[in-house]
Order: sequence, then structure tokens, then C-alpha cells
Amino acid sequence: MSGEPLLRVRDVHRSFRTGPTVVHALRGVSFDVAAGSMVALVGRSGSGKTTLLNVIGGLDRPDAGTVHVDGADISALDEDGLSRLRREKVSYVFQSFGLIPVLSAAENVAAPLRLARAAPAERERRVELLLDLVGLADHARQRPTELSGGQQQRVAIARALAASPRLLLADEPTGQLDAETGLSVMALLRGIAESEGVTVLVSTHDAVMMALADRVIRIHDGHLDEQATGQPYAPVPDAR
Amino acid sequence: MLRLVSRRARAQWQLLAALLGVITIGATLLGTCTLLVTRTAERALEVAVARAAPSAVDVTVYTGAVEGRDTRSVAADTRTVVTSALAPFPVTTTARASTVLRALPPALAPGTTVPPQAYLSGLDDLPARAELITGHWPQHPGDAVLLESTAGLLHLTPGSRVRLGAELAHPPVPAIDVTVVGVVRPLPGRGWDRDPLAAAGSATGYRDGRFLQPVNAYGPFLVDLADLVTTGATVDRMEITAHPDLSHPHRRDLETMAGAVRSADRRLAGTLGDRVTLARVSSDLALTLGNADDQRRATAAVVLAIAVLGGVLAATALVLAGRLTAGIRADETALRSALGASRGQLAATATLEAGLVAAVATALAIPASSALHAGLTHLSPLDDAGLTVRPAITGAQVLAVAGGALVLTAVLTVLAIRPVPAPGDRRTRRELLARSGADLMLAVFAVAGWWQLHAQPTVASARADAVRMLAPALLLTAGAALALRVVLPALRGADRLAYRARGLALPLAVSESARRPQAVAAGLLVGLACAAGTFGLAFDATWHQSQRDQAALSVGTDLALTLGTTPVPGDGAVVSAATAGAVSPVLNRGTAVGQWLGTAGDAPRLVAVDTTRAGALLRGPVDGDRGWADVGATLAPRTRVTGLAVAAGAPLVLSGTTAAGASLAVTPRLLLQDATGLRTSCTGPAVPLDGREFRLPACATADGLRLVAVALPVTTDVGDEPVAITGPVAIAVTLTVPPAGSPERSTDGSDWTATSAPPVPSRMRDLTVQVSPTPTGTALRMAATVDLDSADDAARTLVATAFADPGPVPVAVSARFASEVGVASGSTLSVTVGTTPVPIVVAEVVPTVPSAPGAVAVLADLDTLSRARAVTGDLTFPVDAWWVGHPAGPDAAERATALHLGTVTNREAETARLTGGPLRAGLPAALRLIVPAAALLLLAGVVLHVTCDLQARAVEVARLRGLGMSRRGIRAVLLGQHVGVLLPLLTPVAGAALAQRPRPWPDRRRTAAAHRRRHRCRRAARRGRAGAAPRRRRQGRPGRGPPLRPGLERPRRRRLGTRRRPGRRAGPNRPPRR
Repeated sequence: MSGEPLLRVRDVHRSFRTGPTVVHALRGVSFDVAAGSMVALVGRSGSGKTTLLNVIGGLDRPDAGTVHVDGADISALDEDGLSRLRREKVSYVFQSFGLIPVLSAAENVAAPLRLARAAPAERERRVELLLDLVGLADHARQRPTELSGGQQQRVAIARALAASPRLLLADEPTGQLDAETGLSVMALLRGIAESEGVTVLVSTHDAVMMALADRVIRIHDGHLDEQATGQPYAPVPDAR
Repeated sequence: MLRLVSRRARAQWQLLAALLGVITIGATLLGTCTLLVTRTAERALEVAVARAAPSAVDVTVYTGAVEGRDTRSVAADTRTVVTSALAPFPVTTTARASTVLRALPPALAPGTTVPPQAYLSGLDDLPARAELITGHWPQHPGDAVLLESTAGLLHLTPGSRVRLGAELAHPPVPAIDVTVVGVVRPLPGRGWDRDPLAAAGSATGYRDGRFLQPVNAYGPFLVDLADLVTTGATVDRMEITAHPDLSHPHRRDLETMAGAVRSADRRLAGTLGDRVTLARVSSDLALTLGNADDQRRATAAVVLAIAVLGGVLAATALVLAGRLTAGIRADETALRSALGASRGQLAATATLEAGLVAAVATALAIPASSALHAGLTHLSPLDDAGLTVRPAITGAQVLAVAGGALVLTAVLTVLAIRPVPAPGDRRTRRELLARSGADLMLAVFAVAGWWQLHAQPTVASARADAVRMLAPALLLTAGAALALRVVLPALRGADRLAYRARGLALPLAVSESARRPQAVAAGLLVGLACAAGTFGLAFDATWHQSQRDQAALSVGTDLALTLGTTPVPGDGAVVSAATAGAVSPVLNRGTAVGQWLGTAGDAPRLVAVDTTRAGALLRGPVDGDRGWADVGATLAPRTRVTGLAVAAGAPLVLSGTTAAGASLAVTPRLLLQDATGLRTSCTGPAVPLDGREFRLPACATADGLRLVAVALPVTTDVGDEPVAITGPVAIAVTLTVPPAGSPERSTDGSDWTATSAPPVPSRMRDLTVQVSPTPTGTALRMAATVDLDSADDAARTLVATAFADPGPVPVAVSARFASEVGVASGSTLSVTVGTTPVPIVVAEVVPTVPSAPGAVAVLADLDTLSRARAVTGDLTFPVDAWWVGHPAGPDAAERATALHLGTVTNREAETARLTGGPLRAGLPAALRLIVPAAALLLLAGVVLHVTCDLQARAVEVARLRGLGMSRRGIRAVLLGQHVGVLLPLLTPVAGAALAQRPRPWPDRRRTAAAHRRRHRCRRAARRGRAGAAPRRRRQGRPGRGPPLRPGLERPRRRRLGTRRRPGRRAGPNRPPRR
């Protein structure tokens, strides 16, 4: 955790107006995340976790403050720049998996590679590798609706890793999974973060998940309440 | 339940509004079509009948041989019968009667051995039928007026008194004294064709069947009808014409009247009893009403077909909308089921909602359809046809709208209670089989409909109407469904191919197109709407073209002048001067083919025209690349007839001799031809062959006539006491034609031919004819040896013609003629013209003969036909019309009408009548409905589908953005996937546009020239760009994807994009950024 942090968030504000009501989702959030670490973002529903991840991933823009990813100020990027950022440096894993229903598992994993215009042979090889990594090599031709929740989330993780991102943002990736499956997904994320050097920022309110993180950031009503280092990582049984 | 429905409606009001819109559009279309086939159709029938020509609705009663004492009562009783038959309509009647021939003082017609006879005609509307030349109309009993020609022949002038003596072939009756008080000229088209002498004023050798011997008939002496019935003269024929006032008809009254007219014959016979020997009711009224009803039904069938098509289209849109709605409400339905709602409760909720939607749609569609219908009637052609109405609501309309709305909303109900398949559900084998079976059944029904359309008769019938009504919707639905069967596999193939692409946008768009839910329903709607729109446009264009073709074939030429009286030499020149077009006399009448007279009301027709100008005269489509000029070339005679020029008013002199001084006579008949090809015959008095010269009547009544044939029937009844002569007798007859002022083109006689007329030509032999100049003119010398052993005078006729026997007349027959008679090119048979059979040979088979569309008809050259008849001794030249090709100016018809020679019809007027007639106007109006209705339903369906799709895929859009896809890329994917479905199905729109294309396709030369020009341009452009190519290659090198290390490699670092600065946009010399 030394040197330049991969992610630097400084005094980020974001509010939404719903009719006459103004909701302050983020109120001066600041923190850093070192490269290669796994950070858990913890908070209750409506605390601003998803908004913070969207701002970091460039899906949303802050009202104030700056976000630097891998040294680049994403507030200065235009739409194309943000798209390129998400294509090349930042990946998402959604709570609802976020797979494209008309595409098969392999095609979903190939989607970021296609956006990166990878050569077909290289693309096929990498898709095969990733699906094997997440244990779904035998389900490559199945569509998302033909897979279980855990399988879908693993496809989503494979897809998120396809373009070799620097930062992986996971928004409650185990929210729709049972505890056992959720644990296996988190273990997978943890393993990938260690083996590939990918920085992972994962929002969750599951205590078990927090245990796997290098660090836990708590957010409450748009404020960071506390920053803490999590428990040392302990390998968990493979739950694939 | 009501609360659920109302709250859901409030929450999903946009969706419900779209559903309501689709149902309202469909119900409005049904309501409008219902009004067109009920209210407008009824009105159209009434307008059509009110506008019908008098001849189409008049009822004429003919009675024959009425004794003088019964004339008054017969006339009164006949009027009563016919007036009661036409009740409840007001009726006006006109009557005319002609007496039998009565003896005329011989002094009035000297120089003939045949007794002169005359007759009286009484008309109660004489001033409306004739034009007074001199004197005044009859005012007192005994006053009479004469036709111009009769007065001239009998040398009678106003003030002359004439005693008409004994009736021919009747018991003695008192003579009738009449005083000529005026001279009149008959007006064309006023019924003079039914005069005993057809208003010719006289007839030499007249026989009317009651007496054997020919007489010279003169007349009529025109008197007031009221005066005639008091004379006690025997009436030979009487006709009473009743004209009903149909200006405000009602359908039921019309049907009552038609039934009464049909049974009037029986009532008339019962009323008149034995006071008449003949009583017949003649009227086209029932036929007119029947035709109008047939036309109304034919129009109604098309309008209903449009309604069915619109209904199917609306149902398809609703199926799509219903499925989308069910999909959107799937979670709610699942929740309610989970909460314990039964299937019946779900159905009840859906039915309640559907019923409310139907009620609102009905409430909207009823006034909308009334307003739309009224609006349509204010547009051409309904407005032009006089069918304008104000908005109104009828019971049939309400029923149609409400029924249609209920049926359409039933679709929604069925879809609402149908289990919604989960997104990942694949079709079961049973479902696939069911769908394939449905498609197959649709295809089978479509083929059956197609076959029925082909097999059905051309005349309208209830069965045919049902086929016409359902077949279009069936065919289009089957076509759209089968097209989808092709489009979807094609999309799947494209899906496989697109997957080879590097980028994401294309494969994702194609995958969405090929795999998306509801693609079939959306595709069916798009395909069917496009097909319906195309059908509407193409049907409209085809229908108008067919009406133009029908008009061209119906008239046969550009302008037709159907004669009301017998034409006279010079009429053609007058018509030509008035119209400035190519003019030809035309024979156009029924005929007999051999012994075959055709079927009732569908007799074979013979059309004869100057085929040397067929290209200029004849109209209507011919098969292939051929034109009427090509057809005419095969029918036209090889040489033109020269004949001998006869100056106007020139006295022709006839003299003859016989060997051994036998007392024989000839009654010369001359055939003269004017510059337009009109031939008129002229019959002289019997001339004894005793060496004396006799001046013939002034046959040449106009300049430019040429004598083309002479017929000399040889008789032995010369003088009061015929002498019996037997054995062969040589005769020589010379007809001297005074010089006409212009040098003769042929006086050597080489083109003249002498023949002996049938039926026994052998009774004359050694026939010769010579033409030689003499000091007094040109002498036509004819000689023969006559066999006088038989008393049959009709069998000894020497005929001299300025042409040879043409043999069988080449004709073109209609395809129906060839089919029904069983002939082909080269077949020989005969047709009857008048009473003369003429041999014909089939030279051509054409789709249809001009002026006889769809009929069993024969087209021949009038000149050749006349030649074939003349060589048999029949010098009559029946002409029914003048045809004019390429008349000058739009007012040619008015100028032709002003000639008062007959009824004028032209193609433009006929086309306007066919396309804008009240009974047909509903058809183009209905076709106008289908295109906007299809467009609206398509728009509603597509907008609904796309909106629902975007709504359902809002999350997916966010996911794509999360993957790093730009907004532009996402838009491309969405657009591409919709275009992927729409594009193949929108191709019919291009077809529709082409169907409306007014210009002909460029011919091959122009296309080739354009291609060459484009090729030159491309080469020039390539030369001009040659120097820039390397730079373009440098700049335009396609970007490559980030190289990836084996394993989980990180892509090559690239500088992240910054906000675009001015001047960084891709320009013409800068490749677009990737």
C-alpha cells in the first residue's frame, strides 16, 4: 500500500433533486485506494454506495470534487473519454449481474474485448481462459436466463476481467445470491485481486464479505464515517 | 377489481392510450367502411338512377295493328298500364303512331310503274323531335308537315293538299285529306330510327312483310297524334314511352317499380285483349337497376375487403400491443397469482379493462367515423359524384364500430390471461408444430383464395363478393407471415455472420434483431402494414389504369359519334372538319357467327372500321409489344378502290338493250363512296332495256363521290302486262357517268369486275364490264347472258364492282371469341351482316376488340367487308357510328355534339364516368383509407414496441455504458437492431412508390448511356484521386485493438481521451477517430 494510489477521491459531492426535495447522496467524500488492494465499501441502503461507485466509474459526474483513476482526473474527461476509461481501466460487476440476455455466456464475456476490437483469435482464446477461470467453461453457449444466479455473477466477473482493467468496481455483487454462493463469488474476487493485481472496490453490507477485504470504508448518509483496515485475508473453501 | 383497473390505468395511462388509439383507429376504419357500403352506397344508387339516361329508365310499350275504332282506347289503356307500373314515381308519357300504307295519288310520283304509297305518323311531341324548316306546326285537324326529303320528292310545299286513299292490304276505308302546312328536318337521337322508313322520307321497292309486291313508299305525313286517332285510320304500329321522374328515388320504390315493369307485359295483354295483334313492353329499367345493384355490390365488396384488411391490421397491432402489455404486467400478474388470484379472476379483471377500453374506443370511433366519412364525401371523387353528406350516425355504423371494438379488445383479453413465457423459455416442439400448422393453414387458405379469385366469374355475385372481401386480407397476411419465415432465418444467418466482426455494435444489433422477444409480432405488423399500404396504393393505381383501359376499350377510339340517323355522303367531311382528327365510318352491331347467335344479351359483335388507319383510330391494350396498327395491317385491303368520279348532282344515264327485243328491265342500284370511305347506295327506278336512255335520280348528293359498284337485278315484269320470256337472253346495259371535272385515274376498266350475284350465279353467264370514255362522260358497259327459265327475279343480278372479289374477309377475333367458338388463326367461318353471310378468315386473335370489351367480337376492315358484300349484290353499307382518332382540342366532343348527328362519347368522359360515377366512387375513397390507416397502425405499433423495448432495456443501456460503450455506439446498436427487422419488411414501400411512378422506365439505351456516363465519372474521379491515395492510406489505417498478452494481459496503455477541442473534428482529409 505504498506509492501512488490507484484511486484518489477528494471532497466529492453529489446531490439529486426529486421535485422540491434535494437528496445529498455524497457530502465531501475523500479517500484513496492503493493499487492491488481489495476495499469494501459498507453502508446501509441509500447511504450513497452506488452513487460513489458510479462517480468513480464515470457513469455519473460529481457536483464538486475530483476523482483520479490511475492518475487521470476523470472529471475532465468528455463522454468519449469516460467510455474509454470504462473500456480500458475500470470494470463493473453489478448486483443484478448486468448480462445482456440475448447473448450467450461466451458472447457476454467477449463483449468488452469486442469493444476493444481485439483480434478474433485472441478474443476466443481469452474468453475460453476467463470462463475456465470462473469455472464455467462448460456453459459457454448458454444464455444468462439458462444459468443460475451464482453462475451469472461469475460470468459477470469474467466479463469484468476480460479487458484487463486496473480497477474493478463491484456493486453488491452478492446481493442476489445465497450466502454460500455469495461467499464463493467474493472468494473469486479476492483471488483475482491477488493474482492479477487488480484493484477491487466492492460495496456490500455483508459482514463475511467485509472480512475478505484489505480495508473497509464505511459510508453513512453521504459521509465517510470511518476508515479501517480489515482483518487479514484468510483463504476460504472453494465454493464453486 | 374496479379500483385495481382504475389505478393501473392511471399508472399506465400512456400504454392504455396507445391501446385505445389502436382500437379506435381500427373501429373508426370499420365504421367508415360501413357508412361507405350502406349510406353512401344507397345514396350512390339513387344518384345513379336519377342521373341515368332516359333510354335506360324509360318504358316503351309497342302495340301493333290497331283498328281505327280502337286506337283511342288502346292508347288510353296503354298509358294507364304503364303509368301504374311506374308508380309511385311521377310519369310523363309521349306517344307516336304510324298508319298502314295508303295509296298516294300517282301524279305525285310520276315515272314509275310501281304504285306510290304513303303513311301518316302522329306524334304528340313533334316539335321536340324535328326542326321546322318552313311553314308551321299542325294546328288544326288535317294539318300535316313533311320531312324535307319527302316534300322534295313529292314536290309538296306548305299549302298543298293530298288525299291518301285506300289502305294497302286492308278493307276499304274512307280516304284522308291532309293539308301540308310545313316542312321539317328530323333531329338526331329522337327516335326516328323507329320510323317505318327510318326518316329517310322514301323507299323504292319497299316491302314490310304484309304484302308481296314492292311499292314506292313515301312519308310520313306528320300530324298531331290526337288528330290521328280521330281519322279512323288503321294504325300499323304505336309506341307509348313513359319516362319516370326519378329525381328523388328511394331504393324500395325502385325495387317495387322494377318488379311492376317486369310484370307489365302480362297486365298489358290482359288489358288490351284482342284489340291489338301485338303488345310488348320494352324497358332497360330492370337491367339498369340490376347493373347498378351489381356495381354497388362490387364496390361494396372492395370496401369491405378494405375493412377486413384494416381489421386484421388492427388486430395484429393489438396482438403486439397486448403481448407487450402482458410482458410489462408480468410481474404484477405473477404477484396476484402468488397472492391467490385465480385464473378466472385474472380473466375478469382483463375483461373489465378490455370492456372499458372497448366502450371508450366505441364512443370515440362513432363520431370519428361519421366525421371521417363526411370528410371523405367532400373530397373527389365522392364529391364529384354528388355523394356529399353531412356527418350522421346510423345503426349499422354503431353496430360495426361496437362489434369491431369488442372483437379487437377480446384479443387483449386473451393475451392478458395467456401465460407469459419467461425470457429464457424456448418454444416447445408442440408450440413450434402449432405455429407451423397455423402458417401452413394460412398458406392453404391463401392459395384457395387465389384460386377462387381466378375462378370466379367476371360478373358480381354474392359468392364472388365473399371471396373478394376475404381474399386480400388472407393473401396479405399469408404473404407477410411467410415473408417473416424467410426474414427471421435470414436474420439468424446474419447473426452468425455478424459474430465474426471485431466490434460489438454490429453483432449485438443483429443478435437483438434475431433473438429479441416479440420480433415475430412486430415483424408481422410491419410486414402486414407495408403490404396493406402497398396493396392500397397499387390497387388504386391498377384500378384507375384498368378504368382507363376499360374506357378506351369501351369507346374503342378517342371519340365515337354513334349515329341516330342514316349518314349521308359528306357527313364524314363534316365530322372531320369539326374534330380535326382521323375519321372513319364504323359498323358496330350484333351479328351471327354461322348459325350461332350467342347467348341472350351477349350476342357476338361485329366491329368494322377503316383498318388502314387502325393505329390512329383504335384504342385499348393489345398483347405484347404490338399495337393496333400492326393488327390493322393484317386486315386492311392491299389496294384502295378507285371507281368512277361522280360530280355532285350529275345526271347518271342508264340505257340497255336485249337480244331479240325481249322485254326486260333492270332496277339499278349504285354504290357511291365519299372521301372518308362512307359508302351509300342509291336505287333507281326500273329501267326497261329497250334502248332508251333514262336519267337516274340524283344519287350524287355531295362532291367527291366515286361510283364503286353497280347492281342490276334483271326482271321481266315490265309494264302492266308482264310477258313470259324463257331461255337465255343477252343483255347489254350502259351507265354513263358525266365528267366530274377532274381527270379519271382509271378509265380502262381493268379494275372493274362483273359477277353474278348469289344464290344461283349460274343464271347469268358471259359477264363483262368495260369502262370507256365517251363525249358525254365515262361509259360503264355491262353485258351478260341471262337465263330466264326461272321466275325467281332475285336470282338474276349482274354486279359490276370496281374491285375484285376479296374472298374470305380477314378478321381479328377476341380471345373470348376464339375460346367460345373454338377457332385459331387461319380458321374460316362466316358472319352475317344484315341478311348477307360474309365468309371470314381469322387472321389475328386479340385480347379484346375495341368497343366490345370482354365480348365475343370480330374486328374487320369496313372496306373489305363492303367489297365482300357488294360482290354478292348487297350494296347496302350499314354504318352505326363515326370514329375519330386524335381529335384536336379538349372541346372536340362539344364540337362533334354540335353537329347533331348522334350521341358523342369519348375516352376522357368515359374514364371520368367509370372512375367518378356514383356507384364506383366509393372504391377509390375506401382505398384512400387503407394507406393512412396502415400508416397510423404501423406507427402506433412500432412506437409502442420501441417504447416498451427501450423501457425494458433501460437497465441494459446502463450495462452497456458500464462496459464502456459510448452513447453513440448504444444508439447505433438500438437503431441497427430495429432497422434489421424493419428494413427487409419495408421493401414493399419501395414497390408502392414505384407503382405510383408516373414516368415509364428508362429504355435500355438511356440506361446504358447513363451507365457509360457514370463509368466515365468514376474513371475521372479515380484519376483525380490517384495522387492522394498514399496519403489516404497513411491516414486511414484502421485502428487496431489493444494487443493482449497471453493470459490475463493488460492492454497497451493509451492516452485517455480529453475534452474535444475545436479543430479536432474529423474532416474530409482526416479519418474519423476510432
